[in-house]
Amino acid sequence: MRIDVRGLSFSYGARRVLDGVSFGVRSGDVLCVLGPNGAGKSTLFNCILGISRPEAGEIAADGRSISGIGARELARIMAFVPQSHAPTFNYSVFDMVLMGTTARVGGFSSPGAREVGAAEEAMERVGISGLRSRGYLQISGGERQLTLIARALAQRASVVIMDEPTANLDYGNQLRVLMRVKELSREGLTIIQSTHNPDHAFLFASRVLALLGGRVAALGEPREAVTEELIENLYGVKVRLRADEDGYMRCRPLLT
Amino acid sequence: MTPRGAEEASRRRLYSLIVAALAALALAGIVASFMIGRYPINPPQLFAALRDKAGEILSRVTRGAVGAPKSALVTDQMRAILFNVRLPRIFLACMVGCCLSAAGASYQGVFQNPMAAPDILGASSGAAAGAALAILLELGSRMVMVFAFAASLITIGLVMLVSRAARGNRVLRIILAGIMISSLCNAMTSFIKLVADPNNILPEITYWMMGSLAKTKPGEVLFALVPMTLGIVPLLLLRWRVNLLTLSDEEARTMGVPVAAVRTTVIVCSTLITAASVAVSGLIGWVGLVVPHLARRLVGNNYRHLLPASMLGGALFLLIVDDVSRNLLLTEIPIGILTSVIGAPFFIWLITRRKETV
Repeated sequence: MRIDVRGLSFSYGARRVLDGVSFGVRSGDVLCVLGPNGAGKSTLFNCILGISRPEAGEIAADGRSISGIGARELARIMAFVPQSHAPTFNYSVFDMVLMGTTARVGGFSSPGAREVGAAEEAMERVGISGLRSRGYLQISGGERQLTLIARALAQRASVVIMDEPTANLDYGNQLRVLMRVKELSREGLTIIQSTHNPDHAFLFASRVLALLGGRVAALGEPREAVTEELIENLYGVKVRLRADEDGYMRCRPLLT
Repeated sequence: MTPRGAEEASRRRLYSLIVAALAALALAGIVASFMIGRYPINPPQLFAALRDKAGEILSRVTRGAVGAPKSALVTDQMRAILFNVRLPRIFLACMVGCCLSAAGASYQGVFQNPMAAPDILGASSGAAAGAALAILLELGSRMVMVFAFAASLITIGLVMLVSRAARGNRVLRIILAGIMISSLCNAMTSFIKLVADPNNILPEITYWMMGSLAKTKPGEVLFALVPMTLGIVPLLLLRWRVNLLTLSDEEARTMGVPVAAVRTTVIVCSTLITAASVAVSGLIGWVGLVVPHLARRLVGNNYRHLLPASMLGGALFLLIVDDVSRNLLLTEIPIGILTSVIGAPFFIWLITRRKETV
């Protein structure tokens, strides 16, 4: 599914958080959103997900504006993967994934056999079937993140929006999660994810959107959009970008 | 389906089985409660009395075409005790236990707070203050219920407002707000007691405040059944969605739940059944906290099983406590005193054990 954002603006009181943001992503894309804390990444996601109402501009899913779509229908189009968190109650991993099917269940009923099947399949795709009976609070941060991704798959939405899916994960888990996400995009999902690591953009993104002070600082293919100046503008650190012998771009901070 | 899918299915079957077992236990508890008491009635007598009652009803329906023989086993005194004293009381114990536990489990979900319960959030004290006011003004038992509900809803609203404005830990904030608003309600109730006529109104308020099922009148029980049903049915229907409300609002919304509408409905319904319970039985504390937590241990946190298990467990719990309250000593112990004796140590256990087991 195609998501088009045109001229999106949003303010908290007098503070403008998003200012004329425009971009588009389509099926198979992994769009990495780069930007320092407070650049407007979360607000952008909240607007796309219909949680916050933009002040100006439009968001369209396959050409249809999302402003008139209700929570339940929107949930069948877009799924959200929050940062791995610790909810109040210790649900089983399976129940957590099953919650993703809610938008497809009648307003007054519980998920049935069909939804249980969808949850099973989603866990299989992410490779966490073995965790089903474990408590969500007892598994590792990486496993929690995979559980939340499985939950988004069980939702059967065609767009998945992820808020820093690798935050708080160790090195191995970061890569495992990102590789899984890349595979999902190959299966035709549209993925929008925020990250702080430029290397992740080079390794896993097909497009990059850089936000600074609520405005688009760069947009395009990773190799064109992400430059040494951009990183310095965004994060205030000097880096060197070089292709290694296998042709992969790597970002190395310059230590002084 | 994969073998692992089968494992999941069997776990769900186990939980359904536990819920069914609780229902069977509650039913057995009801039958036993009919026989236990200062005036013991043995099983053949109970059976004969029930058969006579059925015959009597049948005869009334058929306008005397079917006779209504009376068994020699049962005296009229026994019938009076069974149908006028024990029946309404057993029924009320079950309903109140069921409602307070359902309200506790639901509050815990929508406030994302394992310590939430009707008494801790102030819903019970609010209902008590409203009910005391209605008793003071001698408005009759129906207005007692209306006042209890209105006051209870205002209390919950205030608690939510205060906890939102306060700073600090979310779980603690709502409990502190509950304690504060409860204290205000208790002050109001105390003032009502102060100005109440010490000859008839004051004893009525005082005794009722202790929490008791003793003065149950069949008419009141039937009237309380209306708001209780009106509250419980939506809770049962929305129970799957309560699971999603225990996560963050953003998550629940992106999974297709109209968060504000569902949360408001659940809070209003829980408050309605709390108020109806308080109006007919006075302050019976701790049930709404203890029972849902025991139910969580039995069937896990999924409200699909948790809510029915809490309701049945609550009915069974209050039924047993009421049996103790009317049989332990020569004079009856108000049931609210007993639930506090059980509930307070439970609460200590709850706040001192490790967090992961919630």
